[in-house]
Amino acid sequence: MKRPAIPALPATARTTSRVVALTSLLAVAALSTTGCNGLVGGSAEGDDKGPIVLGMAIPMSGSSADTGPYMKNGAQLAVDEINAKGGILGRKLRLQVEDDACDPKTAVAAANKLVAAHAAVSVGGYCSGATLPTLPIFDKRKIPMVIPAANSNQLVSQHLKHVFLINGTGSQQAAAAVAWLSKDGAKKVAVMNDNTSYSKDIADLTWAKLGTTGAPAKAVEEAVNPGESDYSPNVTSVLKSSPDYIYWTGYYQEGGLLIRQFRQAGYKGKFLVGDGSVDPKLVKIAGAEHGEGVLATMTQTPQTTPGAGSWIASYRGEFGAEPGPYSTQSYDAVRVAAEAITKAGSTDGDKVTASLEAMDGFKTFSGPLKFTADHTLSNGGFVILGVEDGQFVLRDSLK
Amino acid sequence: MAQLIWNGLFVGSFYALVALGYSMVYGIIKLLNFAHGDLYMLGAFSGFAMLGALGGFVPSTSLLSLFVVLVMTMLATGLGGVALERVAYRPLRGAPRLSLLITAVGASFALEYGVRIVAGPNPRVYPVRLDGTAVEVLGAKITVQQLVLMVIAAGLMVALNALVTRSRQGRAMRAIALDPKACLLMGVNVDAVISRTFFIGSALAGAAGVMSGAYYGKIDFLMGFIIGLKAFTAAVIGGIGNMKGTMLGGLVLGLLESFGTDWLGGQWRDVFAFGFLILFLTVRPTGLLGERVTERV
Repeated sequence: MKRPAIPALPATARTTSRVVALTSLLAVAALSTTGCNGLVGGSAEGDDKGPIVLGMAIPMSGSSADTGPYMKNGAQLAVDEINAKGGILGRKLRLQVEDDACDPKTAVAAANKLVAAHAAVSVGGYCSGATLPTLPIFDKRKIPMVIPAANSNQLVSQHLKHVFLINGTGSQQAAAAVAWLSKDGAKKVAVMNDNTSYSKDIADLTWAKLGTTGAPAKAVEEAVNPGESDYSPNVTSVLKSSPDYIYWTGYYQEGGLLIRQFRQAGYKGKFLVGDGSVDPKLVKIAGAEHGEGVLATMTQTPQTTPGAGSWIASYRGEFGAEPGPYSTQSYDAVRVAAEAITKAGSTDGDKVTASLEAMDGFKTFSGPLKFTADHTLSNGGFVILGVEDGQFVLRDSLK
Repeated sequence: MAQLIWNGLFVGSFYALVALGYSMVYGIIKLLNFAHGDLYMLGAFSGFAMLGALGGFVPSTSLLSLFVVLVMTMLATGLGGVALERVAYRPLRGAPRLSLLITAVGASFALEYGVRIVAGPNPRVYPVRLDGTAVEVLGAKITVQQLVLMVIAAGLMVALNALVTRSRQGRAMRAIALDPKACLLMGVNVDAVISRTFFIGSALAGAAGVMSGAYYGKIDFLMGFIIGLKAFTAAVIGGIGNMKGTMLGGLVLGLLESFGTDWLGGQWRDVFAFGFLILFLTVRPTGLLGERVTERV
């Protein structure tokens, strides 16, 4: 690292001491940002005997603290399986989890910790907002990122070389929604969002695709303010455009209320909801009779993935609980990372990135893996779920 | 059109019910009780807990049990309001008004996150749901349940109005609103009357909470925040401190929102409501039915 030039100052005793203090401060800063090579951690790079560290920055506290443990368990399951088979490159894997609290500042600190621990690959990332500021930290150290859950288009729009998403993006979800709407014979579709960036992104992308050839016609695009109970004004204004299909891209709390209030207002058409609404609570809030038959665009979950039965059983055996959202994606992230390191024959970041780019047909829960030029999934892995007896079950794999 | 009016009136009656507590407390001790919306939330949650407990005794929770729970919840949140006043506001009675305001905001957070610790962050769903088929009246779809809720709300408001204008208690409340010091000198137990005011206002908010829980189904620990702000807006529009004005303000706000949403789109609903708050504060700060107060020197 280049040391910034220190301006020449009159060499009084006070300024000299200041200069000394400043220089040592800079030196310390430089040392700490380069990861304190040889100072911290026993698993220094090039040590071929120690375990290969996989770093995972996920929310273990904060607003999304529910999801973190699922992701951690899913990843741990894959690590244990690979280690039981003797590890990769003759070394064991070690998963290091750091809490990002779904908060950008905490996430940066977590990412720096993982860098300091010489993580070979980062397999974390749930909240897009918290994951975004960690991208340059990993990218600068040439640490490949296999992001299991976060899926904002912004993550890949910077075209960083080492960033890969193994969850479908907003545009892929919108494409899946329109594909399903056309397939299901929708005529006039209303799109509703809750004004959050996640929800509005999907809604706007879907809205743009409607009305083009082969796609259903546009009815109206409407946004609601989350956190209220009464959406009757929104319901009334949407019904005025007489849609036969309503696509809700927000979360289940408002989604459940909307479905209920639409049905009470006499709406007879169908509902499609986004992945943020896939939760049995949606049906509970809407009321069982209103929730039945609601459809959803969703990435694969263990419960909806055909052939995941044995996987669920081993998860249950290991952790004594049902697998939750994004545990399969985290499991896949570890396996993808391990596969890439194996193919690269080394933990060198550039080589691993190259082997990630070359990956073709590696089996994951969301189908055979191949990355696009953008480092997103070539096949978004979105499926259509439908509510049956209060539970979301697979309706159509959109393949 | 008829549908818009009906939507507005229905939501407005909730706003009015919550706004009354705001307005009464402001009228008597000139405190904007920002924790009032959270008493509404507290009502929804205690109603939920009681229904759960009741479900253990009675196999089928019915409308009758809902009514019993409504009354019990009003008692519970009323006592909650009294406790809030005793703990958070009374020690600051002589303090500058800003301290009270900040305390109210603090009390609001304490209630929200206290409930979050007890009940968890995830939304809950009421076990008893008011769900009915809609009847078309003059082009508007109306359910019997909506009518029942509106009748209950109106009944509570009428009872309150009678209490304040006809009874001894009401006279004491009005007297304290005019001049607390003189009342004290005349031998009125000011603390007791203020407690009673908090009890009544909080009980009404609690009732609205249970009704909203039973009608909409979903409750969560932050549900009081927006309705608290809306109730404040309703109180200001109608004339804060004025009972009839506050009821009118609730209905007006509901109608404004209903028509504003129809005109501009759903995402403009809150902009529209709070825009009117600003407009009223600049043009007619005393509200629709408020009287101009002349300061005597």
